[in-house]
Amino acid sequence: MMDRNDPQPLTAVPDPEIPAGFPSGSAIRRIDWGAQRAFDLLLVPVSEGQEAEGSSLSVLAREWATTGSGGSQVAAGCPGSVLIPLYGNHVVWSPERGAVIAEAGRLDTLAAALTEFAQCERRLRDLEQRGDSLNNRVETDAASILVAGEATDQPPRGGVQGSQLESISIRAELSKIAPLVHAPVLHPPTAASQLAERLRDRTRLAERHDLATNRADFAVQVYEACGQRAFDAKIARRQSGLEWAILVILLGQMALMLVEILSSRTGQ
Amino acid sequence: MGKPMNRTVDAPLISQIRQGNLAAKPPRVAIVGGGPGGLFTAWNLEHQADSPFELNLFEGTDRLGGKVLTPVFSTRGIRYEAGAAEFYDYTPVGEDPLRDLVESLGLHPVGLAGAGVHVLEKRIANLDDLCDTLGPDARKKMATFDNWARSAMTPREFYTSGTDGSCHAAQPGPFHQALPGPVGNGLRRYIETMIHSDLATPASKTSTAYGLQNYLMNDPAYMRLYRIAGGNEQLIRALAERISAQVRLSTRVERVVRAENGPMRLEFAGPEGPQSEAFDAVVLALPLEALKRLKFQGGELSEAMGRHIGHHDHPAHYLRVTLLTDQSPQPILGDDGYLMLDAFGGCCLYSETAIEPGARHGVLGWLIGGEAAEQMSLLNDQALVSEVLNTLPPSLAHLGGRVVESRVHRWVGAVSAVPGGWDSLPEDRRHRPAATTQPSLLIVGDYLYDSTLNGALESAEYAAGWLAAHLQSLRAGNG
Repeated sequence: MMDRNDPQPLTAVPDPEIPAGFPSGSAIRRIDWGAQRAFDLLLVPVSEGQEAEGSSLSVLAREWATTGSGGSQVAAGCPGSVLIPLYGNHVVWSPERGAVIAEAGRLDTLAAALTEFAQCERRLRDLEQRGDSLNNRVETDAASILVAGEATDQPPRGGVQGSQLESISIRAELSKIAPLVHAPVLHPPTAASQLAERLRDRTRLAERHDLATNRADFAVQVYEACGQRAFDAKIARRQSGLEWAILVILLGQMALMLVEILSSRTGQ
Repeated sequence: MGKPMNRTVDAPLISQIRQGNLAAKPPRVAIVGGGPGGLFTAWNLEHQADSPFELNLFEGTDRLGGKVLTPVFSTRGIRYEAGAAEFYDYTPVGEDPLRDLVESLGLHPVGLAGAGVHVLEKRIANLDDLCDTLGPDARKKMATFDNWARSAMTPREFYTSGTDGSCHAAQPGPFHQALPGPVGNGLRRYIETMIHSDLATPASKTSTAYGLQNYLMNDPAYMRLYRIAGGNEQLIRALAERISAQVRLSTRVERVVRAENGPMRLEFAGPEGPQSEAFDAVVLALPLEALKRLKFQGGELSEAMGRHIGHHDHPAHYLRVTLLTDQSPQPILGDDGYLMLDAFGGCCLYSETAIEPGARHGVLGWLIGGEAAEQMSLLNDQALVSEVLNTLPPSLAHLGGRVVESRVHRWVGAVSAVPGGWDSLPEDRRHRPAATTQPSLLIVGDYLYDSTLNGALESAEYAAGWLAAHLQSLRAGNG
């Protein structure tokens, strides 16, 4: 089964979409995330030693990236866009657009690192949004379980069960991306590892992942407790029925015994 | 800065007063040297001692802090580091008492990193740059060297290597002879620039272990660097505000006189002229150059101190040249707080712009160490500024024309080139060189460990622990 988080192959976007002000040789690559979402990557080659030129282009690239990601929600504490000067090269990231302004020999390396980061960040952002949505339901679900367990014959299913599965799913997804988020600092570093470290640091990826994990853990625990509570209520109900059955049987047995005693006396 | 002593009166003292033993004065302790070592000792002693004592801190100059100095440019009131540029953070591996102290004082540590090495007029910031500049073969050789370095010293060995003043994990001999295999001139220069960029020890005196430490400290798994927000001297101010010792500034201790079976006497010259006072215990928290100027009276004491100084006397030198510019280098440097240059046998160029939040100016500070620092310290300030400007990497060369003010600080003989000496001595012998004749004379210094502030704190903790026990025994004797 194909992972829904896997990016689709890079697709070239026609030249006209390259914003004004960038030199010839610039290109845009579109990475298809699926579900009608994509990440546009602007690649701008500059000559070696042209750091001033790269610096001015990075400002333009950041404007372009920020404009294109206007509609995307960013987690609290994470900037809407990030500009990273990296030893003469410049990298821009925003939720839906990124740019690499670098010497030709570094473009592909940095673009790959930026794409990998963007994918990881997007997965985390999705999980944060799913976690937010789940968090809004936890209290209602917990209340309905506790009330249902005590007052009705059948605990509510469907919605709550779905929420429980959602909490487990979020927690599992967070575990999957944990090695990417908490990757150790590489030494000696490569250009790609330096970029990844800076991007993770600027977007507070580790802190966001920790927070999302804590919230998912809490939801999992709440739904586990709710499930246990519902199970206990079910057992208690069965136990109560059993007790009544035993009582009825005993009463029946006593009645039979009484009939037997009475009939034996009548016979004398 | 000098404050009267105001110690908390504890139960045994109350008991003494009740018994009418008011004549029993608390023991007197003198700390000579108001640098980090002296202040750390005072701070630790006040926290560890459980009996009353009178603490005096002598400082020959008009300021506390020694090599931790954050002055201000006169033209714009902007701060810069003139001495210790950074603190070492050992928390990736183990406990770090200095970082704990910094945080407990309410100070804010700010991470400091830098990977850029300028060698042969090229910037090498990562393995890709290394490959581009020196060829694919250099990348493989660098990996070989890195593996060798890691296998020679684990993070734990690195962490403990400062404690006993040496490291036993590596082979003997100088570092430059220990590099594995033919590394090539370019790679050798790259590695040696990394190692010597903030090292005052010349290559010939850099042991394999010391060289390894200085290479591995670039790896965040072994150690990280930080500075204190608002300037490193914040640490000194915070300590000075909290200790209750009587601080005597501009008071130079000139002679330590040994007394038979009694207290020591210090002869000193201060604002009130030459004086002499007796103390039950004396801590000499001085750099070696200052210790050498101190006179010791009493044959055995003088001999013992001569042996101590002789063992540790490997003077090394630093030179700090700092320029204030009206444009920030940070857009070029990015997240890096420093870069390493192969000029002057390997030096470090710090960008201290971040000391002032939201600054638009730039502060560029060169840290030059070793023989180059000693030779260049003879030049006048203008010549030094001219020399350092010639070493600016091409990407920062435009800042050379935007200098607003320059400052030079010479730290000649201020540190030890061979911390702990060639042979590491037991801790007690390091701190009490005259243990038999003058047991309550203690030495505190970063040079006894690894020539860092962490080493100074470790030394101070040892001395304070010993003194606290000694004060306890004095009180028991009096009782």
